[in-house]
Amino acid sequence: MSRHAMSARNAHRVRALAITKLVGASIFLAGCAKDAPQDVFQPKGENAADINNLQYMVFGIAGVVGVIMTVLFVVTMTKFRDKGQPIPEQSHGKPALEITLTIIPALILSVVGVFTFRGVFDLAETKDTELVINVTGQQWWWEYDYPVQGDWGIDKPIITSGQLVMPAGTKVLIRETSRDVIHSYWIPALNGKRDAVPGRIHTLRLHADNPGIYAGQCTEFCGLSHGNMRMEAVALSKEDFATWVTNQQAAYKEPEKDSLAEQGEAVFLNQCVRCHQVNGLKKADGTAAIAAPDENVYAGAAPNLSKFMSRNTFAGATWDLLKKDCRGNVWDAKSEEFGAKYLEGVSADCLNEVDLRRWLRNAPAMKPMYADPTKLEPTDGKYRGMPYLALSESDIDKLVAYLLTLK
Amino acid sequence: MAIIERPSTELEVSITPSVVVPSTTLGNLRRPVQSTGWKSWLFTVDHKKIGIMYGVFAMIFFIIGGVEALLMRLQLAAPDGKALSADLYNQMFTMHGTTMVFLFAMPMAAAFANYFLPLQIGARDVAFPRMNALGLWFLVVGGLVLNAAWFLGGAADGGWFMYAPNSGPVFSPSNGVDFWTLGLQIAGLGSLIGSINLIVTVLNMRAPGMTMMKLPVFTWMILVVQFLLVFSLPVITVALVLLMFQRSFGATFFDVAQGADPLLWQHLFWIFGHPEVYVLILPAFGIISEVLPTFSRKPLFGYPFVVFSGAAIGFVGFGVWAHHMFAAGLGPVSVAVFSIATMAIAIPTGVKIFNWTLTMWGGKIWFTTAMKFAIGLVVLFTIGGLSGVTHSVAPSDTQQTDTYYIVAHFHYVLFGGMVFGLFSGFYYWWPKMFGKMLNERLGSWNFWLMFIGMNMTFGPMHILGLQGQPRRMYVWTEARAGEGFFNFGFWNLISSIGSFVLALSVLLFLINVVQTARKGKQAPLDPWDARTLEWITTSPPKEHNFDRIPTVHHLDEFFHRKYVEDEATHTMKAIATGEEIVRNEEANAESHIHLPSASYWPLVLAIGVGVLGLGVLYGVPIMVLGAAIVLLSSFGWVMEPSVAEDSDYDPPAGGTSKELASHG
Repeated sequence: MSRHAMSARNAHRVRALAITKLVGASIFLAGCAKDAPQDVFQPKGENAADINNLQYMVFGIAGVVGVIMTVLFVVTMTKFRDKGQPIPEQSHGKPALEITLTIIPALILSVVGVFTFRGVFDLAETKDTELVINVTGQQWWWEYDYPVQGDWGIDKPIITSGQLVMPAGTKVLIRETSRDVIHSYWIPALNGKRDAVPGRIHTLRLHADNPGIYAGQCTEFCGLSHGNMRMEAVALSKEDFATWVTNQQAAYKEPEKDSLAEQGEAVFLNQCVRCHQVNGLKKADGTAAIAAPDENVYAGAAPNLSKFMSRNTFAGATWDLLKKDCRGNVWDAKSEEFGAKYLEGVSADCLNEVDLRRWLRNAPAMKPMYADPTKLEPTDGKYRGMPYLALSESDIDKLVAYLLTLK
Repeated sequence: MAIIERPSTELEVSITPSVVVPSTTLGNLRRPVQSTGWKSWLFTVDHKKIGIMYGVFAMIFFIIGGVEALLMRLQLAAPDGKALSADLYNQMFTMHGTTMVFLFAMPMAAAFANYFLPLQIGARDVAFPRMNALGLWFLVVGGLVLNAAWFLGGAADGGWFMYAPNSGPVFSPSNGVDFWTLGLQIAGLGSLIGSINLIVTVLNMRAPGMTMMKLPVFTWMILVVQFLLVFSLPVITVALVLLMFQRSFGATFFDVAQGADPLLWQHLFWIFGHPEVYVLILPAFGIISEVLPTFSRKPLFGYPFVVFSGAAIGFVGFGVWAHHMFAAGLGPVSVAVFSIATMAIAIPTGVKIFNWTLTMWGGKIWFTTAMKFAIGLVVLFTIGGLSGVTHSVAPSDTQQTDTYYIVAHFHYVLFGGMVFGLFSGFYYWWPKMFGKMLNERLGSWNFWLMFIGMNMTFGPMHILGLQGQPRRMYVWTEARAGEGFFNFGFWNLISSIGSFVLALSVLLFLINVVQTARKGKQAPLDPWDARTLEWITTSPPKEHNFDRIPTVHHLDEFFHRKYVEDEATHTMKAIATGEEIVRNEEANAESHIHLPSASYWPLVLAIGVGVLGLGVLYGVPIMVLGAAIVLLSSFGWVMEPSVAEDSDYDPPAGGTSKELASHG
């Protein structure tokens, strides 16, 4: 085939390429418009909004430059394809043009740089913090520890996991660390991500404009079940938050006499309390039942289950405690109704028993963890994650009934 | 046994080789001077054979790494994938990254560098030919050690970045990470040796008249890369040694309970890891800086700008590592500084894109497959570069880092950039290396399938990342997938389909290679009307590369021997064909060409180092054995003259005209 015929055919291809790109760009835009819970272009608070402004700026600039370059490529390839013209002059470039083309991007980037500089320092500001929450990562769940803060009615520490509950319209500062490997805390609607590094404390500001529930996911690879380490931030109005705080600090409610739940409490005392603390729970002899996760778990902690059914999720926020329609009821609630619905917690009717029972039956089969008792040599016999407990079905029935009382 | 005669070193005068009957005791230790057969490859010190072997090994690992990627895409095609377990998935993405970076991309660049750098500067070989072979064998041994883990308890599972403390013995209890640290140390030795070798070669062995500013851009970029390697590889080696001591000998460099700071590893890794990015991309930039001018029939626009921007990228590339750590908690001052530095590196990169486009501007563009891949690089790298600029804005990056947006970005840069550049190099230089033309029609299919497959696979990942899908998760869930048709499900499926289109395109390339080898058409000496020195010799080049070392007067010397400028019209007038020029060189061949002889020692030494490495895992006796092999081979190497003794050859068969200069 002659070169000319080849080039002519390629000219069509060049045009096809341009069309493909345009179609691609429109699909891209269509793709971004949909509602994914972790979409980075849908800020729901001050910090994320600041970031979003920077995102729009730099994506906008990149987009415009991209379009200009595409036009330049297409024109070059169509205009200068081999149409039988003579071999051109062997020119080696034009320094003035070169320098111009170096200076223009430099100028654009210095403007971007100024805004970036400001953004970085603004987002690191912590002086005006209103509420502090300690966040600790562990394979493969997050623990939230609310230090005593009288202004918020927190007069004894609250320890929860899975869902971070915070007041809306408030400048919250989380102080992150980790008990084992590096994790990363990311609620895209509220702020960018920040790594939780063992031995260090990193701060990250969270702010939600309105009540609602905001999804997140651990974003630093943290081993086997990294894919199963999620989190949710729940923003409540200040009144609802006060209610939540009161409830979290409320005394332990013993299960009714002679109920299935009471038998469940016994199972819990026998099995679960080795790792899981329930504040106020007493042993048969009347002494406090103190969990000792440090003796069984490598990282030294297990989720505190005191008000378990006030949360919507379990096992690293990976499975829902609410059935699908009940979950939708909370997640899709209007912002003014959200608080009341969230504070209802999990009722027997709404409980996602299937997954909870599956978990109690054999946790490591559901979520990969280093929980094989024969392979614990590197950790001196300690587990990383919840082991298989060989519970009988009747024990599971009892436990579910008991867990439902933890509200 | 084939008779191997000592080749004559004089072309014009026929000489009678001295007849020496080797003594029987030395028989087994005669040097492997065969010019054909497997020994001529295993023990060769010829930069071209070594280059081809680098290419073959790199291609094998490209396929292995590709299969790992396909398995991952299979797993992620639908929610809650069941194709791989969490453990296997983690091994897959760790080994995919490691393999593609260390066992495909770097060796493939080394293949081109080894083969073409001496040819482009008019040299007969590299400065240290046996060291060159050693570099290759270190790579091969390193690659084997790395992948041996699959069969010995599971591969490394901490990601190619292997962040501490997740890489520690508690969190990664299999031996995978041990094989990983050992394999990379050995492969790294190979790269380090290779880089020093190539630097010395470029600085000392250029043909007369070839000043640094007449160096072909490919050679320039390779030179910059070698400096990057010399300065960055020691850093990763230190990190690997620390990790090895922690895992195997109870050290506590990354043990937080003992007061270690896990960020130490991240700094060490990325001080190496970021320059490494340019180690991967600059050779491809070099390749297309040869291809674009050739097929535009114009010199590279702004040669000094391209050269200095390449050097600037290399230099600034050492000052941007912490942009991989914007979410790691470095504090605002560091983040702001590295943010600005990252923006700065976009400028020389932009300069290159403009220069390539302006090279084509005003040209006479011939759309061969090589040219299509080169243009593909320019287009796809521009997209990857622009998404890279979006990361330089640190607050914005804290939303995108560790999501699929990053995966999309670096695959546009590395697949769209590097792999397209390498494929451009295959199609461009295949006739030079093997004397046969790759099929252009299959090549065109190869290109378009790869272009479409690449965009289908990695394009949707931009969207997935911005919709909030994190990387390195062995499953994704519908709970976070979003509403509507264009949710995670749709884009993940498209991406998975695209990955198989990509695989098909690579398969077409392999078919093309096989078909060309079996019945490809003979390549003309100058099929592309090329511009640089490697074309002033036969295809494939003779073992001594050039019959006469060319004297260089121009950048693009070959082109200027073929064409002169018409004073009046400033267009170019042909005065000689490439064929005539090569024939003229042959007619004026130099006598007394000295070439180094083959040697066993590089291979033996590399195997010794491999055994020594395995000793770290399997006990002191193995280590001692390895050390003994290393000592023996070092001793043998030192005592060995660079040119084989006459006694290494069989006595002449008598009176026949001999094949010249093809001992390997």
